[in-house]
Amino acid sequence: MNIFSSLGIAIKALFSHKMRTFLASLGILIGIASVIVMVAIGKGSQMEVMDVIAGMGENLITINAGEMKRRGGRLRLTGNVNTLTVRDANGIMDEISEVERVAPFEEKRMSAKFGNNAAETTIAGSTVDFPFIRDYYLKSGEFFSERDVKTANRVAIIGMTAVKNLFGEEDPLGQVIRVHFIPFKIIGVFEPKGVDTNGLDQDDLVLIPLSTYMRRIVNQTFISRIFVKASSRQNISKASVKIRELLRENHKLVDDRNDDFTLVTQLEIEDMKKETTEMFTKLIVGVAGISLLVGGIGILAVMLISVKERTREIGIRRAVGATRRDIVHQFLYESLIIGFLGGGLGIILGVGLTLGLNQWGHWTLILDLHSIWIASWACVGIGVLFGVFPAIKASKLDPMEALTTE
Amino acid sequence: MNLIEMNSICKSYRNIGFETRVLKDVTLHIKEGDYVSIIGPSGAGKSTLMAIMGCLSQPTSGEYILDGEEVGKLNDRKLSRVRNEKIGFVFQAFHLLPGVTAMENVTLPLVYAKNPPGNIKERARELLAKVGLEHRLHHTPGQLSGGEQQRVTIARSLINDPRIILADEPTGNLDSKNGIETMKTFDNLIKEGKTIILITHDQEVAQHADRIISIRDGQIASDSKVSHEEQIRSL
Repeated sequence: MNIFSSLGIAIKALFSHKMRTFLASLGILIGIASVIVMVAIGKGSQMEVMDVIAGMGENLITINAGEMKRRGGRLRLTGNVNTLTVRDANGIMDEISEVERVAPFEEKRMSAKFGNNAAETTIAGSTVDFPFIRDYYLKSGEFFSERDVKTANRVAIIGMTAVKNLFGEEDPLGQVIRVHFIPFKIIGVFEPKGVDTNGLDQDDLVLIPLSTYMRRIVNQTFISRIFVKASSRQNISKASVKIRELLRENHKLVDDRNDDFTLVTQLEIEDMKKETTEMFTKLIVGVAGISLLVGGIGILAVMLISVKERTREIGIRRAVGATRRDIVHQFLYESLIIGFLGGGLGIILGVGLTLGLNQWGHWTLILDLHSIWIASWACVGIGVLFGVFPAIKASKLDPMEALTTE
Repeated sequence: MNLIEMNSICKSYRNIGFETRVLKDVTLHIKEGDYVSIIGPSGAGKSTLMAIMGCLSQPTSGEYILDGEEVGKLNDRKLSRVRNEKIGFVFQAFHLLPGVTAMENVTLPLVYAKNPPGNIKERARELLAKVGLEHRLHHTPGQLSGGEQQRVTIARSLINDPRIILADEPTGNLDSKNGIETMKTFDNLIKEGKTIILITHDQEVAQHADRIISIRDGQIASDSKVSHEEQIRSL
């Protein structure tokens, strides 16, 4: 008996039980579809995270004052440390060759006023290198100059969220806002940048020259952060080692004292996020495995019922000359077809959902061809795996007993 | 030469530790072209004997030579081929595939044939016409009467031109008119040189054969030739 007549018999049998066939393949269908969609979501969010990390600035090293500790899963600064200074920043720039740019930085949540509008926003002070290091671009206007920094000029660049909160629809360029009763002239507006890896809005910002900030707003000499741009990706680690040495020296930290600052490089953030996505991927694989297993058990149940129900048919076929092998093939083909059917529809549904969500949803999904490939093999595997037992069971029936079964 | 040669056939079933001996030392020889009835009360072992004769089950002990071949030594594939090529079954309960047309039921054995003939459909149509069902080719068993279903079964048993027709209570589920029709068909098949073995508990049906073997408690109780006069008298 050839493969085509076996296939024909299997298809006919499945076709005469359309509902049952569909229900049997439903488990596989949902399993495969969900695997495809979840992998796409995973890939999409991974890409989004990597984009955000890249958007923080290329080859970025961040030096935070004080020790950073994980609290509630996020890195947080502990204590109020006043050892980090603008002099440290200048030292890094002057003495470490792997460093391209340095921007000392200080920020505080404060109320800003425009006319009668007041809004809480982040007032930040930095130098002219800041936008180059952190990849901030101007939407309109211009950035403050070296001269503005030297003379502690009262000018500000404003982010889109702060614009919306203070100005509404009005054009902020050339307007004057007040922070701590000090007037600042808006000379530039930043391009929107979105949220950072911690989900904080990077556009809720008013940036002013660091000197102005230190003298007029807070009146302090220390800063909370220094942003450093390494000259290349390869140099990030080398630069960070040298920065640490330099800062320890400058801060006169003897051998056994802990650092009073924390270095975080872009590479470390990437690794951290990769770890998270890898865990997510493992979770997906686990869930996928379970749903496919459930789908397979569905096939198993339906095939066992089918064998039981068609005991007489098996007897008849055996009586007129079907071998055990013929019977095994017939039932195995049935379960394989169920697997293929579920898998095929699952792939269509999964790809459709992925494209649909990508088009009309708020997520970024990336279709992973690899996952479709694996899904295809999974449904073949499940069809065989869960079909073999019922098929062999059917073939083992004694022909005479099968015929006399009611 | 004997077409069927059974020597000391025993068959027992094991059930929850108890052994039931259904056939006890049955020795039986049937020649090609014989018309044989096997009669006996229910539970005597007729059906088991037929199952072994038809290669549907294997004897527990003893030797069964079918057409010169020792059946007990055959594997499943070869045994299936014997059933496919040498034996045509006619069952009391018809045993047609439900939901499948008469044509497809008749051609079923050829699906499993090693060298199926080219003119399958033509042959099936011919055989169905021969049993008077040329107008019922595309009906499913559910749409056919009992007598018609039995005739489809007979057509199926003939499709691969077997040498032996094994009929298990062929008239058991039929009314007397259809029963007589069925028996006439068998009577005609003998003329074509087939070997027919009828299993029945009905004396009247058994009388159609040339030889009646009676089974009781798993053993052959009597084995007698039917004289022509007796046959006529019984009719």
